[in-house]
Amino acid sequence: MKIDKNKLKELANDLLFDMSEQEYDTLLMEFGELVTQMKLLEQIPNVDEGEPLIYPFETTNSFLREDEPGVPLSKEEVLSNVADSYAGQVRLPKVVN
Amino acid sequence: MDYTALSIKEIHDLYLSGKVTPLQVVEQAIAKAQKDTNNALEKTTFAEALKQAKDLSNSPVEKDNLLWGIPYFIKDNISTKGVETTASSNILKGYIPLFNAEVITRLNNKKAISLGKTTLDELAMGGSGMSGHLGYTFNPYDETHKRRVGGSSAGSAAVVAAGIVPFALGSDTGDSVRKPASYAGLVGFKPTWGRISRFGLFPFTPSLDAIGYFTRSVFDAALLLEVLAGRDEKDFTSSLKEVNDYTKYRAGVGGVKIALIKGISDKITNKTLLEAYEKSLKELKNRGAIIEYVNIDQVLINAIFSTYFVLSCAESTSNNANLDGVKFGLRQAGETYLDVIKNTRTKGFSPLIKRRFIIGAYSLKQENQELLFKRAQKARRLIVDEVNKVLSKYDVIYLPAAPGIAPEFNQKADNLNIEHLVADNHLAIANLAGLPSITLPLCLDNDLPIGVNLTGRAFAEKQLFAIAAVVEEITGLKGLQVGSKK
Amino acid sequence: MEYEAVIGLEIHIETKTKTKMFSSSPVDYSAAPNTLVTPTDLAHPGTLPRVNKRAVENAIRVCHALNMEIDETLYFDRKNYFYSDLPKGYQITQDKRPIGKKGYLDLNIDGQVTRIGITRLHMEEDTAKQLHILDYSLIDYNRAGIPLIEVVSEPDIRNGKEAAKFVELIREIVTFTDVSDGKMEEGSLRCDVNVSIRPKGREAFGTKVEVKNLNSISNVEKVIDIEIERQKQVLASGGQVIQETRRYDDEVKTTISMRVKNSAVDYKYYPEANLVPIHIGREFIDDVIKNCPELPTTKRMRYADQFKLSQFDIDILLASKDVSNYFDESVKHTTNYKLVANLINGEIATFLNKNNVQITSLITSPKNLARVADMINDGKISNKQARTILEHLFVEDQDPVQVAKKLNMVQISDENAILALVNVVLDENPSVIEDYKNGKDRAFGFLVGILMKKSQGKINPSIASTILKQEIEKR
Repeated sequence: MKIDKNKLKELANDLLFDMSEQEYDTLLMEFGELVTQMKLLEQIPNVDEGEPLIYPFETTNSFLREDEPGVPLSKEEVLSNVADSYAGQVRLPKVVN
Repeated sequence: MDYTALSIKEIHDLYLSGKVTPLQVVEQAIAKAQKDTNNALEKTTFAEALKQAKDLSNSPVEKDNLLWGIPYFIKDNISTKGVETTASSNILKGYIPLFNAEVITRLNNKKAISLGKTTLDELAMGGSGMSGHLGYTFNPYDETHKRRVGGSSAGSAAVVAAGIVPFALGSDTGDSVRKPASYAGLVGFKPTWGRISRFGLFPFTPSLDAIGYFTRSVFDAALLLEVLAGRDEKDFTSSLKEVNDYTKYRAGVGGVKIALIKGISDKITNKTLLEAYEKSLKELKNRGAIIEYVNIDQVLINAIFSTYFVLSCAESTSNNANLDGVKFGLRQAGETYLDVIKNTRTKGFSPLIKRRFIIGAYSLKQENQELLFKRAQKARRLIVDEVNKVLSKYDVIYLPAAPGIAPEFNQKADNLNIEHLVADNHLAIANLAGLPSITLPLCLDNDLPIGVNLTGRAFAEKQLFAIAAVVEEITGLKGLQVGSKK
Repeated sequence: MEYEAVIGLEIHIETKTKTKMFSSSPVDYSAAPNTLVTPTDLAHPGTLPRVNKRAVENAIRVCHALNMEIDETLYFDRKNYFYSDLPKGYQITQDKRPIGKKGYLDLNIDGQVTRIGITRLHMEEDTAKQLHILDYSLIDYNRAGIPLIEVVSEPDIRNGKEAAKFVELIREIVTFTDVSDGKMEEGSLRCDVNVSIRPKGREAFGTKVEVKNLNSISNVEKVIDIEIERQKQVLASGGQVIQETRRYDDEVKTTISMRVKNSAVDYKYYPEANLVPIHIGREFIDDVIKNCPELPTTKRMRYADQFKLSQFDIDILLASKDVSNYFDESVKHTTNYKLVANLINGEIATFLNKNNVQITSLITSPKNLARVADMINDGKISNKQARTILEHLFVEDQDPVQVAKKLNMVQISDENAILALVNVVLDENPSVIEDYKNGKDRAFGFLVGILMKKSQGKINPSIASTILKQEIEKR
């Protein structure tokens, strides 16, 4: 698992945020710790053979929600937390593909 | 009289006998909160609380409703309608939820009175109480403000330990209620996964998350569970299992089988803690418990933290992808929409959170999933299977909740030291396996508390309380808080 | 070098439900922006998904129509990516275990049947709607969270015509099963196409190009054929087809590159932890299938086998679910199926088109239409008279027998009466008889015309013809 600063910057970019150079240095160090941690997982015999456990216990429900309308928010409520809106819609600088 | 230092039940009895009114109790709580210096509070709602208390004081006491008029605080990652909720992160500055979390709705129905929100490690991702946007939250047991109260439910632990309110809500993903409970000498409870609705709880790692709470007595914890437990259709992972009459537990350990996991307990070196632990074991035996050391493969024990860490970092990146400034919360300007989102997330998240996210995103990348994320999920199954095997033969696992007293802020967590890793993080077992788990104070070391933890079978909370109540009686630390006379 | 095209389709269908896929927000396409939104649709922290039962039923209906294996347990996954119209920063979808897999659809083109495999069908949620104006983009969350069904075909399609037929059949299925409006122009049915070409006989696939922005079925056919040509040209000129996404531009009548795909986007799929697997069970599925409106393929077979209608008639009737429903209702009251079909496809269709009316608003009841068919078949009225009666029925639904009586329209089929009239006409037109006997066939028609005129159109033309011929022979 070779990791370098550029790879970290790529990941940060994918996550849509930036960090300072020192932060990337700290992270590089933490990645080193992660690798050490992962070795502990590696040491479990036959760890890759079983099935992943996604929920704490195997559980299924048989429940589906009835298709009956609830009460929606008012337009004012929807926009109450929005920093910038126009004509009842959330406004952003133009999204170009 | 110091009302807020009492338990829920004790306050209720005083209400019944007319010796005090909700207004008096709430006024006292607010006064204490205003004087508190532990940096435990986010948005407070004192005016509303006083109004509610006044209204209740003018109405008859609800006899069978023990939560009537009881003041409490709420960890700031739980949605409160009309009250700013930030998860102690700058990215949620100004976010005012349009709905209450299910647990808040239920507490409102019971006429409990919220005084406001408490600090946490940012977005609940931390265990020190140091990473919230308002800075460190202090452990009330150390007046010099040099010690942690732990996290992520730092503020909630602090306000209950400081005697400001008899209970406070928190959340527990790896140990975020049960560890600070140890450092703050409190009862810290996490229910079975799915027992309490997570609707309105800001998600950190849904397959590990649970709403929990701090009280100062086991009975109060059972009482809260009766109110908060139960199926909620708004949470598809909430259990359809019926709710038990938890407060009717019969304290006792006769014939109860208690397992001690050697690979964890032998990592403890604190002498005071070990003495108290051994003493409690003797007392439990005297009361009829059958206590045995069991072995779980050390390799699995050593992997508990890594498993938890990879899973939680990975899932947290996805769960916080909605924080972009577009629909709510902080928004920074930008030339393009991508700039807006990028500037917002850059400014809004702390460096620690960002580093966690990057590690998480790395583990989720398709090319890394097998070796990281999926491997952690597979390790999870192996660990959980082992733990459940133990609990198929024993009623409860009984272990020190932490290796020692609350660390100082500048003490670095030595996560490369396996001993420390194990002793400090084994509580995550209950999250990995979705089991109910409770921490309660065991002893004091230099006047600083250390707790012990009990973890039981899924949905067996009533029995858990019954056993914990005996421990509570053995330690004599029921009601422990800062300034308690021992 | 001869090339063959390898085409796969990805079709997204907005399904008809009262609420959204994972929230109970009402759905209404005409509502003002941001008035049909709940905190869940805005991805407010702490909101959780709740699966819509009707949306699942819709998916099952389409799986059934596409002959797919239907999973008895529902698993949901997260597709993680950032975009301004995606509130959560991920979409809840089904990645590993789609509700339907391994199905097929038979295309019947000019008598030739081609079977197209369907790889998978899964449920997911729609994104918010964006409006780009001036320097801004405006976001409306009414659409965010609406249930979608995605159908992915095997790359078994070979040309634009097949693709268009495929989409047409999907549209037919979703409208007839009441799952969706299936309107490409409105966005309730969206089609993306993957096109590649390879030398005929080779198994390996060529480079795949994705084409988006196809907003009509005719465009699907047209654009695919254009893209196939384009790729052929590229290879012919020694170039290489680039893996990319293109869109159709109607102005220049060609596909234009949107973005080049340098590597597949990593969506970091993993299971949705806020939804434990939902076991719906075989009984639920069978129940949904039982209650599903009749599939178009079943209707097609029934119209051919039971009603003996021609392919041509069937196609016209099945062009609209409402029309076929009207037909089904009508033929409950008569056995004159072909006549009913003719009336619907003829007079009624003309009326509806001229007056911009939907058949669901047609005043004429299917029962009374059946009666008209019976009257024609029994020779009680002529086609012309039927048309007149229908005009009345279009305005007021009434028993056509009564209308005919009122209009004094009863067709004369009584042979004696007709014989009498024929003899009168023959007596009055001896020269025409001469002309006919001398080989002028038109003379016969002339005599029929006089008969019709004398009887005010009431005489049954075929009986009259027979009797007329008889009597002419006698003279």
